[in-house]
Amino acid sequence: MKIEGTHQLQAPRQRVYDCLTDPQVLQRCIPGCERLEKTGENAYSATIRAGVGTIKGVFTGTVKLEDMRPPEHYRIVVEGKGTPGFMKGTGDLDLEAEGEATIIKYTGDLQVGGTIASVGQRMIQGTAKMMASQFFLALEAEAKTAVGEPPPSHGFFRTALRWFSGLLRKLFSPH
Amino acid sequence: MATKYVGQRVKRTEDPRLIKGLAHYVDDIRLPDTLHVSFVRSVYAHARINSIDTTEALKAPGVVAVYTGKDIAEKIGPVPCASALPGLKVPDYRVLAQDKVYFVGHPIAAVVATNAYAARDAVDLVMVDYDDLPVVVDVEAAAKGGPVIYENFGDNIAYKLTAGEGDIEAALGSADRVLKQRIVHQRLAPIAMEGRGVLARYFPGEGELTLWSSTQIPHLMRTQVALMIGIGENKLRVITPEVGGGFGSKLNVYAEEALLGWISMQLNKPVKWIETRRENIQATIHGRGQVGYIEIGCKKDGTLTGLRYNVFADLGAYHQLLTPAIPTLTGLMLSGAYKIPAIQINVTACFTNKVATDAYRGAGRPEATYVVERALDLVAAELGIDAAEVRRRNFPAPNEFPFHTATGLDYDSGDYETALNNAQALIGYSKLREEQKKARDEGRLIGIGISTYVEICALGPSQAMPAGGWESATVRIEPTGKVTVLTGASPHGQGQETSFAQIAADELGVDLNDVTVIHGDTGIVQYGIGTFGSRATAVGGTAVLIAIQKLKEKAQKIAAHMLKCEASNLAFEGGRYSVQAAQAAAATGTSEPVVPVGEAPAGALPEPQTEGKSSLTIQDIALAAHLAKELPPDTEPGLSATYFFEPKNFTFPFGTHICAVEIDRDTGDLKFLRYVAVDDCGKVINPMLVDGQLHGGIVQSLGQALFEEVVYDEQGQLVTGTLMDYAVPKASQVPWLELDRTETPSPVNPLGVKGVGEAGTIGATPAIVGAIVDALAPFGVKHLDMPVKPEAIWRIVNA
Repeated sequence: MKIEGTHQLQAPRQRVYDCLTDPQVLQRCIPGCERLEKTGENAYSATIRAGVGTIKGVFTGTVKLEDMRPPEHYRIVVEGKGTPGFMKGTGDLDLEAEGEATIIKYTGDLQVGGTIASVGQRMIQGTAKMMASQFFLALEAEAKTAVGEPPPSHGFFRTALRWFSGLLRKLFSPH
Repeated sequence: MATKYVGQRVKRTEDPRLIKGLAHYVDDIRLPDTLHVSFVRSVYAHARINSIDTTEALKAPGVVAVYTGKDIAEKIGPVPCASALPGLKVPDYRVLAQDKVYFVGHPIAAVVATNAYAARDAVDLVMVDYDDLPVVVDVEAAAKGGPVIYENFGDNIAYKLTAGEGDIEAALGSADRVLKQRIVHQRLAPIAMEGRGVLARYFPGEGELTLWSSTQIPHLMRTQVALMIGIGENKLRVITPEVGGGFGSKLNVYAEEALLGWISMQLNKPVKWIETRRENIQATIHGRGQVGYIEIGCKKDGTLTGLRYNVFADLGAYHQLLTPAIPTLTGLMLSGAYKIPAIQINVTACFTNKVATDAYRGAGRPEATYVVERALDLVAAELGIDAAEVRRRNFPAPNEFPFHTATGLDYDSGDYETALNNAQALIGYSKLREEQKKARDEGRLIGIGISTYVEICALGPSQAMPAGGWESATVRIEPTGKVTVLTGASPHGQGQETSFAQIAADELGVDLNDVTVIHGDTGIVQYGIGTFGSRATAVGGTAVLIAIQKLKEKAQKIAAHMLKCEASNLAFEGGRYSVQAAQAAAATGTSEPVVPVGEAPAGALPEPQTEGKSSLTIQDIALAAHLAKELPPDTEPGLSATYFFEPKNFTFPFGTHICAVEIDRDTGDLKFLRYVAVDDCGKVINPMLVDGQLHGGIVQSLGQALFEEVVYDEQGQLVTGTLMDYAVPKASQVPWLELDRTETPSPVNPLGVKGVGEAGTIGATPAIVGAIVDALAPFGVKHLDMPVKPEAIWRIVNA
């Protein structure tokens, strides 16, 4: 299944790119990510708690970053399996500078199997979009935090607040 | 035979227990110390299994054992396939996956625990390491090449078959018009209300295994499971308690049935597995699954010259019991209700990475009927002849029966035109056409669809069947006069406890309440074939009738002996043998039974009183036969008879379904204006049961026409895995069904019955789709594939 979208982050492109390739930042930003360990050059093993609707579980797998062209592009390749089934996906991220802000365009191809496919199929697209949105909002907060500062918190309340302020920004933006 | 019950709307004797919740399905049978099984099933459509780690699962609370493919490889034989077609490729499909999995839901491991929840939880702890392999989903792609599922077979084609009579090239060549159409018969899930379920109990002392299973074929299953797990067939007892629907999905021998039996033998404890709905949609057989290409030739006046059907049959990843046979039934019925001089079917049956297809209510015949009826509609539209008229012009006349078709069948009896005429009269056809014309002028979209179907039922002569086509019955009259009927047909909702009792009560002249019909227990009932293919009444009911006739021959001898007269001087009427004098004959019907049932004195059995009597009830004779004090010489005591009825031909029920629909231009939604069905299933034993069969069948047909479709994505993942996504019709979506009948007795059996279990699913889809296509004719629509969803209609209307 194809997943695509665009997010605008209020942070400079290089900073966003650095965050996107920092495993510690990624671990904090990926919803449900409990572990992200480096296993090689741009390769990680990960544990993510995720689910669709009532089908929830823990996925373990690998994350690889490929085709890296800082600060404008990279591809992320994810493979994971767990009790709700398996997932396999690739995503291309393109970063464009727009003044002080960065626009991220992502297109991905996601394959899921097992219970999550047979039960949650109709909700996967929505869930993936929601997770992407959570991820980018958290990423924006990270990118806006200066290097060396303590990282921002990504609890439920913070995420909700960010989502709401993002919504307001979207609604009232001149474009 | 006097017909006090046959032909009457007798209420189902099964219903009170079902309505009150007193019936026993497999899951209602609770044995002490029962262990529960849950399955690890493949999440991939095609993958190699590198390893299976059961360590954590075995440590989980309540878990007793975990079995994988390795454990059973040498112990349990392959899942049986009964179809033997020339050149058929048969994969070695085991009850648990060996080194590869072939479809989503393929069983990999069985977890056994002290309760069902513990077993299910531990399933998640079994770690299977897979390497996914390329997947084959589309049947036409499978035929052309691409990834090969079974490397040893070289390709994905399980078999190819060409059948039919007549010179098809000449027939199409001589036609004024040849019309072509691609037709999709989507995969359907049978969705029996009760899923499958198995309870197995091994008695180590006796060396006997009992299997309770929700199946349509207890005896065939006993034979096959005995062979699979290597137990004597006479040490295996299969009991089918209440079965909550089958629709063909339980006309099978499944991996779980053999495996549960074997596990019980390993652990010496009862083990149970109750299928979940998700498993039901994933791992119980699907139906249909054909993509075909029609070529139909006709003359300018609508006379058909020939029909060719090139079909790709989606068999799924392996064969269940009858998987390869289903497309052959399609081939047999391609003549429909019409005289078509030349017919040819070319089947290319392919393996795909999906669960196997097999018999689903209609089993190959709905596909054929749909093809033929859609073809007739194409001819009607092309030539501008009314859809009813073009059908009428191609019917064989009633005096042309037995009617030989170019598919090699001999239709037993039929009067197709009367059924069509009656249906047209019932719906007010010509007036409806006028209304349609008027509505079109007003911009409203009304369509009328017609299906004049024929089906093949009462399966069937053993020559044409994979495992015997006969059916058995034993009829006993017990010492107290109660009648016990044992039938080899194993009903699962059809109401044969009622209809067979009607046959027996009339034939024996006893009260319906004195008859009990017993079925579905191989420990009690003589070998039988089962209930499927609309066969139970035509074959199994006939066996009951003839067993009774045999029993009565003996009863008459005993009666003559007791009444001290010649057997030939006795007549049987109203349940009573009486001396055949004019006076006695006149008196029958008014006399009381000698020993009325239920009024026999308690304690010792009463002596039959014959002194001074000129007549005896059959129940008096039964008592005498058991006391055996006054029997004619060389007569065996007891009063029972067994008969195995072998039919000489199939039966061919038929009918006309007409429906009228109106389409909402704004939403593409569909409203049924009328639905009329005139069906002919030969003689009717119980009109209420026949109506019920038609209601259910038409609704399932409507489901196929409008809603239902099993969808796998391009990776072979089952997308319609729950009833949220697989859309069976709801009550509110079903129109009022106006049913009527004609009655053309079948000469194939003495009851004159034909069968009706599948008529609805066979007759209705073409009528419904035909009506939609007719409604959309102003948009140039000639055909639409099922399920015809509002979206597709909306896109046409709003293009």
